[in-house]
Amino acid sequence: MTSAMRSEKRNELLYTAITWAIVLTVLFPVFWMALMIFKPESVMFERPTVWLFKPTLDHFKYVIEMGFIKNVGASLIVCIASTLLVILLGTPAAYAFARFQKMKGRDDMFLFILATRMAPPIALVIPFYLIYAKIGLNNTYTGLILVYLTFNLSFYVWVLKSFCQEIPVELEEAAMADGYPRSQVLLRIVIPLMRPGIIATSVLCFIFAWNEFLYAFMLGGKEVKTIPTVITILITAQGVKWGELAIVGMVALLPVLFVVFLLQRHIVRGLTLGAVKG
Amino acid sequence: MAGGSRSTWYPYVLIAPAMITLVVVGLIPFLYTIYMSFHKMNYAQVGPFTWFTNYQALLTNKAFWQSLWVTVVFVCVAVPVEFMLGLVGALLLHQKIRLRQVLVPLLFIPTMLAPIVVAILWKIMLAGAWGLLSYNILERFGILGDISAFASPTLALYALIFVDIWEWTPFMILAFFAGLQSLPLNPYRAAAIDGATAVQTFFRLTVPLMIPLMAVIGLLRFIDAFKIFDTIYMLTGGGPGSATESINIFTYKRVFDFWDIGSATATAVIIWVLFFIFCNIFYKIAQKKLKAF
Repeated sequence: MTSAMRSEKRNELLYTAITWAIVLTVLFPVFWMALMIFKPESVMFERPTVWLFKPTLDHFKYVIEMGFIKNVGASLIVCIASTLLVILLGTPAAYAFARFQKMKGRDDMFLFILATRMAPPIALVIPFYLIYAKIGLNNTYTGLILVYLTFNLSFYVWVLKSFCQEIPVELEEAAMADGYPRSQVLLRIVIPLMRPGIIATSVLCFIFAWNEFLYAFMLGGKEVKTIPTVITILITAQGVKWGELAIVGMVALLPVLFVVFLLQRHIVRGLTLGAVKG
Repeated sequence: MAGGSRSTWYPYVLIAPAMITLVVVGLIPFLYTIYMSFHKMNYAQVGPFTWFTNYQALLTNKAFWQSLWVTVVFVCVAVPVEFMLGLVGALLLHQKIRLRQVLVPLLFIPTMLAPIVVAILWKIMLAGAWGLLSYNILERFGILGDISAFASPTLALYALIFVDIWEWTPFMILAFFAGLQSLPLNPYRAAAIDGATAVQTFFRLTVPLMIPLMAVIGLLRFIDAFKIFDTIYMLTGGGPGSATESINIFTYKRVFDFWDIGSATATAVIIWVLFFIFCNIFYKIAQKKLKAF
């Protein structure tokens, strides 16, 4: 082993150690919240901080009794329904934006879609709240599913379009030369090729809906309480239910954990709206 | 694509369902907001047309300017820090590192986590007298007494900025890292042959090659940072006093605390116009420099 190789080896170990130390430190609050789940109230507020304790399941009991399972159900209904709707409406549009670059008004429509994605939710929640009050959609699943389309449908079209542009156009042209109608080309050839992109983008849509707080809090009301809104119930004038808060936080975290390992490469592309190919 | 008369209407048919939906859920609420902002609003009841009265009331409201200032401070401190740390982190991650395939997904956690859960994490860490960080570091080193950093009039805003940095720096790292990974190798080979030092290579090659990407990511983060609501709402609610009342919290309070729909819609319109300008800039830069869309 030459000395150059040895020093390269040493550098690799050094960088590995530094990077891992930083990442684990940064993620420590997540681990600390996970510990809170089992921490009895009696040791929670101790000074100095207690690191070892006898785990308790009291917090779980409280969370179950307050009907948290129903909240998980509400979250799943809203997120799955809005994501399916997004796939249905957005897939053909993404394909069209990718393939028909020269169609009239394309850039204007595309910019409009970007604007709906970028619009600050607080500015949208006011008209939605007032319009929904008039047509009776406040506190309903339909209302919440509909409002999630504002940010997710536009997101989906933008990102899926960037996936779609990477599919070679020759296959479609060959199929059309063989006399297949366009609708068949789209359903039989394009959509199967788009599948990885559709899955990645729609999973991100699901997560955005899963994480959403403001709309759910304002428009869901007492009837449709998704997981993030439960958090406000646990912070009361009488005090904060810390252990219970940690449980709700961990449940909200679970699909995210799943997604970061499943999608890794695609997340950067998603969060930069397709500008950076992961 | 093969031409023919059919291809002129075909793309519009494909786009129509999505566009119609977005017009209904995006454009109509927007137009309704503009409409309301020019009328005297008696809660949800639309009164007489009043020209710019709502805007006038808003622009003479000290709380509005204060909230704008808080927002500008927040964004202009948080985003540059996230940007610089992101760049340093990406360069570090770009080195030879073992188990990077595990490290990268882990790094996504803060950004993909619900902002409301991020708020819980830091509410616990900085919970004043017993929070792990607030008791063992802030209090022990005399930075702050046994109150939460989020309850301190001087520190609350910086505590929120810190939380935002925690949440978004990992994303910046990974976005820049993705850029570094896709840089062409040939210029680097040539530089190595010419005997360029690491510093020269970085400033003469890496930086110029990365600038379009950095512009797009930085601008996107800049736009997104203005939208912050959940973490502030949960951690300080705009307080203490109005120390952390960002423009979004201000708008929220107009509606749901004061029932002042006139001011709220006027603020919403102003926010919207600003966002539309930012979006346009973003789109132009991304399209021209990055050929992204």
